Amino acid sequence: MYRLWVEEKYCKGCLICIDVCPKDALAPAHEMNARGYILPVEEDMTRCKGCKLCELMCPDFAIAIEEIEGNG
Amino acid sequence: MLKYLKEEGPLGPRMPLIFCPGCGAGQVLNYTLQATDRLMEKDGIRKEQFLFISGIGCSSRIASHYLNFDSAWTIHGRALAVATGALVANPAFKVIVFTGDGDTGSIGGNHFIHACRRNIDVTILCLNNDLYGMTGGQHAPTTPLGEITTTTPYGSIEAAFDLCKLAEVSGASYVARWTTAHPRQTIRSIVKGIRKRGTAFIEILAQCPVHKKMSPVSMLRMYREKTVQISKTREPAEGKIPIGEFCDLDKPEWNESYQRIIDQFRGKAKIGV
Repeated sequence: MYRLWVEEKYCKGCLICIDVCPKDALAPAHEMNARGYILPVEEDMTRCKGCKLCELMCPDFAIAIEEIEGNG
Repeated sequence: MLKYLKEEGPLGPRMPLIFCPGCGAGQVLNYTLQATDRLMEKDGIRKEQFLFISGIGCSSRIASHYLNFDSAWTIHGRALAVATGALVANPAFKVIVFTGDGDTGSIGGNHFIHACRRNIDVTILCLNNDLYGMTGGQHAPTTPLGEITTTTPYGSIEAAFDLCKLAEVSGASYVARWTTAHPRQTIRSIVKGIRKRGTAFIEILAQCPVHKKMSPVSMLRMYREKTVQISKTREPAEGKIPIGEFCDLDKPEWNESYQRIIDQFRGKAKIGV
């Protein structure tokens, strides 16, 4: 299983991570944050295979995928 | 990769990055850090050996402001002159120069072709966004024919510079072009360029969503659609941008040639005749 980590202070809501995800595990949030950006949120993290393409292509170092223990 | 970034500066916090949302400069910074991380792990290059130099421009903010490595922020277009000086003083440096297309192609054009001609061991990462991003999206020498910018509202009438071809004919050892939509290839190229003895020129097409008036996601999709990887057997299709490794040669490097002259005459020269 993998868990999404988004640094709210760094993310500028370009949504590149959602576009590059090959498994569609991420989705845009329904509401803007306090700075007016739409952040990525978990859609279905059971689909995530841990390719970390979102982490690699993030321009703002704001996203990370952490591996967690679990039956996944 | 946050461990390689300066989060605090003398004038307060430096993160988040100053770039506009979805800017390609942040992505290139990410790819470069991945490449340096790989080199430190596999080749045993020490952190102190890296030296990052930049000129002026959006892309040149990377080197001086965010990296936890030795870096120098120099004058416009002259980053390569400073890099040459640093390498002559200490050939053990792994010098990486961040420049933009204006910095390389117009203001520092002469420094660029002569750095390639000397074939000194520098890795040039050129972020090409087809316009002058920092000053307001004006027409640059790399703007494609017919492209609309703030100073060419009816389309550019000038042909664009092909920086990769220019580097190749000037004598660079390694020339490659990738886009920000090709992360793994870019990282591999940067690793190869730093390992290469001689000038390595890597042009990275980076999106400027603000001045191109497109979303970052659609610009990355456009890069994937508009580029075609070069192959030896067939010509690239009409209207597509060729990407890939254009040249990978083994040529004498400047510092090696200079050392050979020193070794040849050491002990033979007479002081005062």
